[in-house]
Amino acid sequence: MHAPNGIDYRSLVDLEHGTVDRRIFFADDIYETELGRIFARAWNFMCHESQIPNPGDFFLNFIGEDSVIATRDRDGNLQVLLNTCRHRGNAVCRAELGHATSFMCTYHGWTYDLEGKLIGVPGYKNFYHEELKREEWGLVKAAKVESYKGFVFATMDPTAPPLDEYLGEVGRLGLSMVAAHGDVAVVDGIQKYRIGCNWKLAVDNLFDWYHVQVSHASSLAAGYIRRPPWTSMDHIVALGEYGHAIGGPRLTREMREELARQQSTTDSPYMDESWRDRPEAQAQLGAFGVESRGHPNIFPNLWIASSGTQLSLRLPRGPGSTEIWWFTILDRDMPPELRKSAIMRANHTFGPAGMLEQDDGENWDQSTRAARGMVGRRYPLNFSMNLGHGTIRHEPSGLAHIDTNISEHAQLWTYRAWTEWMAAEDWDTLRRNHSIPNGTV
Amino acid sequence: MAEADATAILPAMPLSNRDLAYRMQLQFLVEQFYYAEAAALDQRRYDDWLALFTDDVHYWMPVRRTRTSNELDQEFTAPGAVAYFDDTKAMLATRVRKLQTGYSWAEDPPSRTRHLITNVQILDEHDDGFDVISNFHVYRTRLNSEEDSWIGHREDVLRRHGASFLIANRKIFLEQTVLLARNLSNFF
Repeated sequence: MHAPNGIDYRSLVDLEHGTVDRRIFFADDIYETELGRIFARAWNFMCHESQIPNPGDFFLNFIGEDSVIATRDRDGNLQVLLNTCRHRGNAVCRAELGHATSFMCTYHGWTYDLEGKLIGVPGYKNFYHEELKREEWGLVKAAKVESYKGFVFATMDPTAPPLDEYLGEVGRLGLSMVAAHGDVAVVDGIQKYRIGCNWKLAVDNLFDWYHVQVSHASSLAAGYIRRPPWTSMDHIVALGEYGHAIGGPRLTREMREELARQQSTTDSPYMDESWRDRPEAQAQLGAFGVESRGHPNIFPNLWIASSGTQLSLRLPRGPGSTEIWWFTILDRDMPPELRKSAIMRANHTFGPAGMLEQDDGENWDQSTRAARGMVGRRYPLNFSMNLGHGTIRHEPSGLAHIDTNISEHAQLWTYRAWTEWMAAEDWDTLRRNHSIPNGTV
Repeated sequence: MAEADATAILPAMPLSNRDLAYRMQLQFLVEQFYYAEAAALDQRRYDDWLALFTDDVHYWMPVRRTRTSNELDQEFTAPGAVAYFDDTKAMLATRVRKLQTGYSWAEDPPSRTRHLITNVQILDEHDDGFDVISNFHVYRTRLNSEEDSWIGHREDVLRRHGASFLIANRKIFLEQTVLLARNLSNFF
């Protein structure tokens, strides 16, 4: 299926050879199509409910490059409103977060309530002769807003499937890895910074356990990260419909016990995994989830990181720029010392000054630059690790997974889904024409 | 209209119980200390830089947010919440060790930095030291064409150390909310 711009998206990812065409990392027309066919269509993560507990609390986020306000109306219902006045288009909310009783445009004073209804138009009587149909000029609202275990998502497409169906087993398990910690709430402070890379390279990296020993060699050598108990030869990758995936090492009970012993004998950052052994956590995660230390991605761009204590968004800012956001989210009832340690790990590991992440950006930046090369772009990127050796098995729950060593199955699955999203004209087509994980990949 | 009193907008002169010669001498010593610190960073003499901190230092850069004026008291995250730097001396030493491994890729090839320190104000004097604020402009270029610039201010607690000082506490406040550089692989 060719898109309006004549591109056969499915040809850009070669599943037989495990290669990805570099055009998808810089071409303007492909990027524009992504904003429409992926971000304006997908369920996008907005915030956690703990960030906006009361009516009028708001948190600004993005759907693609469109600014949206996530808030609660007077009845406490979640609302997601497009942050642009219907008169001249100015933003009606300029703070990143806060509390409001209404949203007034600072240009001419059109004012909207917490449900987005236009409730104030200066000169309504004298200038508009009371003929302006205010009920038709409210803020554009998300087509659907839903919350799963406190995680608020919104889609701009009224034909999108319900959130639960969209997430599927894999997406729900990813979010449960956070929720299973207990009564979780976002810690104050979202780290935000920009990298000069295509957003997909930042997403692809979250599944990448191959780069750690090289990209982050200096942090290992400096003694910041200890050698973990897991092994590169025993990984599990879960694949879900619409591009969700979880990739990373298996964490056995013995390894969890080993981590607990290390924790009690060192002052290294929080690496506690004992939360997985609580009965409530096991009930939420199931046997597969309890053993998965892998990184989930909710397609397109929400990474559940740090064993369910952090979330990261990779927000597109043009084909060559990505805004990285880090949320830290912890059990409110955590013992104070453990909580302090977990926040320290978050502050020291990821984000722009993170001992790990400060070395990532340049790699992705250079990958993005090189893709522009007139010659370089002729040569696809290689995602063939373990290709042809991944046998998909199904849990009784239906969850599809591969037992493997370190692999690039999750990355290739993400790009495969990307082609399907890009080729589909609408949600109905995508529903009919998307991959179901099966067989050998 | 009554003539405005120009001195009314100024805070009480710090260390006003001290004579001018003492204050000028102290100002000179603190500024020289900061220039030496900046030179150590710009010359990548990280061990020398680390030696300028007390063992119990807290080196901290909070997250800053765009807030409305009535919520500006919550512009920065509080200590204990999320921060960009939240370091003990041991953590700073780990960062320095990382930079010295020879494969700390964000700084290899090394960036070129220049730390400009200005507006140094000694606000208060304690038994063993001083509260000092200063402005900084950290300029960085990297590889062939990358350029980053950070402007902000620092709030330090300096402790007397022989004829010079040690930094016992440093708070760093950037004039950015979304950080526009790809990383913070350098110090402030």
